Amino acid sequence: MWGIYLEQLLQSLPFFLKGLWMTVAVSGLSLLLGTAVGFLWGIVRASRRRILKALIGAWVDVIRGTPFLVQIFILFFILPEFGVHLEAFPAAVIALSNLAACFICEIVSSGIESVPHGQREAAVSSGLNGYQQLRHVILPQALRVILPPLVGQYVLLIKDSSVVSAIGVMDVTRAGWLTVQRIPQGILVFGLVGLLYFAICYPLIQISGALEKRLGRSSRR
Amino acid sequence: MIEFRDVHKWFGDLHVLKGIRLRVAAGEVLVVCGPSGSGKSTLIRTINRLEPIQKGELIVDGMKVHDPRTPMTKLRAEIGFVFQQFNLYPHMTALENVTLAPIKVRRMPRREAEALGKEVLAKVGLADKLHQYPAQLSGGQQQRVAIARGLCMHPKIMLFDEPTSALDPEMINEVLEVMRALAREGMTMIVVTHEMGFAREVAHRVAFMDYGELIEIAPPEEFFARPQSERTRLFLSKILTH
Repeated sequence: MWGIYLEQLLQSLPFFLKGLWMTVAVSGLSLLLGTAVGFLWGIVRASRRRILKALIGAWVDVIRGTPFLVQIFILFFILPEFGVHLEAFPAAVIALSNLAACFICEIVSSGIESVPHGQREAAVSSGLNGYQQLRHVILPQALRVILPPLVGQYVLLIKDSSVVSAIGVMDVTRAGWLTVQRIPQGILVFGLVGLLYFAICYPLIQISGALEKRLGRSSRR
Repeated sequence: MIEFRDVHKWFGDLHVLKGIRLRVAAGEVLVVCGPSGSGKSTLIRTINRLEPIQKGELIVDGMKVHDPRTPMTKLRAEIGFVFQQFNLYPHMTALENVTLAPIKVRRMPRREAEALGKEVLAKVGLADKLHQYPAQLSGGQQQRVAIARGLCMHPKIMLFDEPTSALDPEMINEVLEVMRALAREGMTMIVVTHEMGFAREVAHRVAFMDYGELIEIAPPEEFFARPQSERTRLFLSKILTH
C-alpha cells in the first residue's frame, strides 16, 4: 500500500523540485530585496531624521502586526479593485520583500544603536562625513550584532514564503497541496514538503549558530 | 585661533555655558579645570560642534562654528579631539585607526598615509604596536594611539577632554609625556584635566570653570599662587591637598 504511494511520490519528484525552485526563487529574490531595503530603512531609523523615522516605524508596526496571509491577499485580490493588477509571482515577491524589509529594518537599527556613541563622536571629530562614518566605523561594528539574527530571520522568512502558495504561486507547499489530491497519504506528501524546506533552512540555522559563536567570542573593547 | 564671544548653551532647561568669553591664540596651551558638571567638557566639545551652541559667537580658525550653515567636516579635520574613553575603533589595528581619516578625508594615498601613521605612532612610542588591536593595548597605549590619530591629520588645534581620567595611575605619565612634547612643538592645545602638575609646567594659562561660568583665567604662576576668586581657592585647596 505505502509502497505504491511512495512510488507515485517519487514519480512526482520533478514536480516537487520545480516547486522547490520556485520557493528558492521567491525567497531568494525577496531576501535580496528585503535586505537592501531593510538596511536602508534601518539606517534611517537609527538616524535623526524624525519624520522619515516615524513613517518607517509606523509602517513596520503595521506589517509586523498583521498576518502575512492578509497582506498578500490585499496585494493580490484587493489592489486590482483599485486598478493595480499584479501577477502572482511579482505580488509574492513584493509582499515577502516588504515583510523581510520590516523585520530586517528592526535588526539593523538595533545593531547600529548598539555601537557606543563615542564611536560616532570619534568619527565625526576626525572629519569623516556621514557616509564615511557609517561605512568605515559604525556598520562594521554593527554587523557583528546584526549578522546572527539576520540569518535567523532568513530562516523564518523562507518558511513564511509558503504563504505565497495561497495566491497560486507554484512553490513547494502548493506542489504538496496538489499532489495530496492524487496521493491521499498526507503524511508522506507533506513529510516530503517539510523535508525540502528543512534542506534549505538547516544550513542557515547552522550558519547563524556559528556566526553567533564566532562574533560573540572575538574580543571587543 | 579660537574665540568665544558671549557663548551660551542649554541642555533643555539646564544652562551649562553662561556667557563664555575667551580667546586662545595660536600656539597657546590652555588648561581648563573645575568641578565635574562645571561645563568644562561641554566647553571644548562646542569647538568642533560636537555640541551646538544656542547663543553667542564661536570663531575657530576663521570659521563661524555658531553658524549652522558652516560645513563642519572641513574644520573638524583641522581639530584633533582626544576623548576620556579613547574611543578607538575596536575593529581596526592601531595603524588603521590613525590612517583612516588621512585616507578618507585628506584623500592621501594609502602608502603615504601608512608611512605617516608609522612615523606618528613611533613618535608616541608605539612603533612596535602598529598591528595590534585596541583590545590588545593597555589604557595608556590606547590613549597614545588616540592622540596619534588626531596628529595624523596635521591639525591646527588639539583638544583633550580629561585624557588621563580613565587611566590607571601608572599610565598617566606616558600620556602626559606625549602631550608635553606636543606643547613644546608649539601646538595650540586646550586640555581639560585635573593634572595640576601638568598645568603648572606646560600651560600658558589656566582657566577655572564652575556652574557654566569661566570664573578665572591666568598664567599658572599667578593662578596657583594668587587665585582671585574664592571659588577657585576652594577648588584648588580641595584638589591640591591630595
